[in-house]
Amino acid sequence: MANNKKEGIFSKLARWSTRTFLGQKYEQKWFGNKELGSGEITYKNGVPDDSELIVSPAKQVFQRFIARKFAVFAVLVVVFMFILVFVGPYFMPKYYDAFTESTQKDLPPTMSFMAVPKELKNDINMIDCYGAFSVGLSNAGKVYIWGVTKIGATGFDVKHIPEEVKNANIKFVAAGQDHCVAIDENGKFYGWGSNRFGQYAVTDEILKNDTLIPVPDEVLNGELDVNHIKQVSAGFQATAILMDDGTLYIWGNTQAYANLEKFVGKTNIEEVDFTLNYVVALDKKRDAVYTGYKKSDLYKYIRSSADPSERAVPASDYLGGRKIEHITATLNNICLLLDDGSLAFVGDFGRDNVDVPAAAKNEKFVSVVGGSYHYTGLTEEGNVYTFAGNHYNQDRVPKNLSSKNVTKVFAGAYQSYAVNDNDDLVGKWGLKGYLFGTDGSGANIAERVIAGGKVTMTVGAVAVIIEIIIGVSLGVLSGYFGGWVDMLIMRVCEVVASVPLIPFMLILSSLLAQSAMTTNQKLYMLMFIMGVLGWTGFARITRAQILLARESEYVTAAQSMGVKETRIAFKHILPNVFSVILVNITLAFAGSMGTETTLSYLGFGVIYPQPSWGNMLSRASNATAAINFWWQWLFTSAILILTVVCINTIGDTLRDVMDPKSSNDK
Amino acid sequence: MGKYILKRLVYLVLVFFLLTFLLFVIYQLMPANRAFTDAQTELKTYKNLTEEEKKTLFDELYLKYQRMYGTDTNNKLKLYGRWLGVVPFYDGTYKGMFTGYFGWSYEHSDEVVKVVAPHLKNSMIIGLITEIAVLGITIPLGIKQAVKKGSKFDHGVQLFSLIGFSTPSFITYIVFILLFCSILKIFPVSGMKTPGSSYTGMKNVLDVLYHVTLPTICLVFGSLAGITRVTRASMIDALSLDCVRTARAKGLNEKVVVYSHAWRNAIIPMVGIIVGGFFGIISGAMILETMFGFKGMGLLYLSSVRTADYDMIMFIQVIYTFIGLFSNLVTDLTYGIVDPRVRISK
Repeated sequence: MANNKKEGIFSKLARWSTRTFLGQKYEQKWFGNKELGSGEITYKNGVPDDSELIVSPAKQVFQRFIARKFAVFAVLVVVFMFILVFVGPYFMPKYYDAFTESTQKDLPPTMSFMAVPKELKNDINMIDCYGAFSVGLSNAGKVYIWGVTKIGATGFDVKHIPEEVKNANIKFVAAGQDHCVAIDENGKFYGWGSNRFGQYAVTDEILKNDTLIPVPDEVLNGELDVNHIKQVSAGFQATAILMDDGTLYIWGNTQAYANLEKFVGKTNIEEVDFTLNYVVALDKKRDAVYTGYKKSDLYKYIRSSADPSERAVPASDYLGGRKIEHITATLNNICLLLDDGSLAFVGDFGRDNVDVPAAAKNEKFVSVVGGSYHYTGLTEEGNVYTFAGNHYNQDRVPKNLSSKNVTKVFAGAYQSYAVNDNDDLVGKWGLKGYLFGTDGSGANIAERVIAGGKVTMTVGAVAVIIEIIIGVSLGVLSGYFGGWVDMLIMRVCEVVASVPLIPFMLILSSLLAQSAMTTNQKLYMLMFIMGVLGWTGFARITRAQILLARESEYVTAAQSMGVKETRIAFKHILPNVFSVILVNITLAFAGSMGTETTLSYLGFGVIYPQPSWGNMLSRASNATAAINFWWQWLFTSAILILTVVCINTIGDTLRDVMDPKSSNDK
Repeated sequence: MGKYILKRLVYLVLVFFLLTFLLFVIYQLMPANRAFTDAQTELKTYKNLTEEEKKTLFDELYLKYQRMYGTDTNNKLKLYGRWLGVVPFYDGTYKGMFTGYFGWSYEHSDEVVKVVAPHLKNSMIIGLITEIAVLGITIPLGIKQAVKKGSKFDHGVQLFSLIGFSTPSFITYIVFILLFCSILKIFPVSGMKTPGSSYTGMKNVLDVLYHVTLPTICLVFGSLAGITRVTRASMIDALSLDCVRTARAKGLNEKVVVYSHAWRNAIIPMVGIIVGGFFGIISGAMILETMFGFKGMGLLYLSSVRTADYDMIMFIQVIYTFIGLFSNLVTDLTYGIVDPRVRISK
């Protein structure tokens, strides 16, 4: 019974709103003809033929408007865009304007970051990843590569694994930022990808360059005993091979890693890894992070959690006799696994950081691996935890993993993989990829489109509101009072209109850029300038409409009744010219969005890192960049064009349907 | 008519001075002090000076340069007067707009007038071709659309022009560059002539034409949509006029009705756009010129803003302002020519 009553209320409401907004005919069409008399309803082009019916002008305009499918579609698109850009930012709490990530620069749209090949899934020996691509090695000695394998605009594609690597039985493989290295069962060394910094081969050019350390001869000549290799690790333009007697072979770009040279020829190393700017290692003493620096404080202080607010203490105090079992590094910090199974942390922690889960602190860790910012650890109980860097939600470990007998975990960049004792892949989590790719700073374009849309639309809307306030009030005054008021306002209008908009805006925004205002204040000033320079259109149109309306009978009637002049102007005439103004509001909104886009594209207006649809398109300024990094402008401009087309369509349609001369069957 | 033109000219001159004064004041806000930087540069040429000597020498040099550049006062009106050339510099000479001197370009190490001249020529060549092409395409298109209102042709062109109208010009340009330079490889990407070439005569003309074609095509396509829309709208209004109905009722040839009766009414609201377009070519196309490295007014202006070459910016802005005001005047006079009613009311 209660249900019935509720339905009744709803249908009554729907009926009421249909009657109010669409008219009686629609009410009868949709809700039947219950109380309100009867009569055949005739339709013309899908709209009830209300030529016999008296409807208010607003209702008529509305009915005509919704009869046009394309216009309704345009309204939906614009509403969707508004919701997307104004509500969307609340769903991306981790987004911030100045985000940069050097390992994720210029990546095309992809969702393949975790697309482990089928052949590898049940035979995993190891997985490694540093930048945008991952490399996997099967127990059978085969190498697999997935992710974004094209290296920027360099033309290298690491997907092209050399034939000899395909035919060899590979034992070790490692992925760097733009290169891959592998060692087969005979100790033969292979490399592919970019070799600009001597990543895997030695050329005369590399020997001539003082800043590069060439690949050691032992490695190149295949003199290494593969059974005694402990670790192969690659980083940003550098590579390291560690033997189990502590001998380290390391080479690459010394400008990428400040202490790279200090590691050459070391023979007491237990484990090695790369942070953003330093090589870090564990030496035989196992009591501190070895960086090669004798007196520096670098990585000497340890804390017990990945929480930067905790005070770090000197290594010897913290360890108190315990030894470091294992070290692993992300770009800006290092995780230490101690011999009692607890974790300790060294280094800085950026934003979007999560601490080790409380539950994990009571468990003993058996292994821990670092990605670009996160760590994935495995405990004795078989539980897997991911912590530290969490910008792309790397910490979302699949729920049922603890029951799957995980024995190995791998991590790289923003991804983690869990493998069971049968070498099957049982779980993968982390960043899948980027819907629209990344920009030149490594930021996710999809997120910037939303944040940029908010800026562009806000600037457009506020500028138009300022234009309306100035333009319409001056237009009403000018049109209604005429005489010297009209003369003065129209001359001012002419002067402002004759100022060339874009050049003048360029000057003002370059003045703004030099001033010491905050980003937001600059944005307000931009809106203000756009509004103050763009009101003339509104003033002219309002004036022209007022001139027409002033001659009409209802104004004469009001005047004869002794209504105050300002009241006539704003209360009697303005509502009647509102329709024309409304059309111009939509067109001006599209126009000022265009102005903002052009300005920001030229490098004025909204300035990087604050995104706007205009400055996101700056890559589209020369043909080579535009074709190499097509995703960096194509999606943004498509969304921009779609939005502006829809806003203009709404304006055009409003103009058509409000024009009493135009007929329904257009 | 003569009296009206005279009145408007006096008004134009007044507004011109008012606007240039405002612009001048805005430019004074810019953080640039040429005298200061020049004095510092010259100070560096003197060696073996004590701190004390340096300070006095710098003050001397600073004053010297300030007097040379005419910035030895903070009175804005006096500075503006010097820029105009009606207030003398410290040494009693007059150097300003009225003496034909608009300032010195720091970037180009030349008088701004001399730097602007070739750029202006380039912009005008490409602008004129574009303007003629645009009007030649859009007007027949708009008329046909209006005559066949509601047809498939009309809807097609309308959609096309709506998208074109809504697309920021730089996106149109980059699509064309990609199409013609990267995919079809027909046209060169940038420049005004083949690098390193020294062609003469006919070959030079052909080479320039080859380089100018794509920018022109881009510019034409960038401005098609807007004018087509206006032509269609004003033509539709004109076709619903009583005089058109009367002409049809008389049994006149449809062509005569459209081109003689309707078009002559439709052109009235378009005068502003057409005249403005012809004057607009002088301003150059900023974005297009930047993309193609085409040495026109827009590129010059933009690079001057980027390098803070203030005299240059001021001069180009003055040209822009003058064009804006003058084209207003010409537009109003043209209204009088195309619309007899306006002529009578004056």
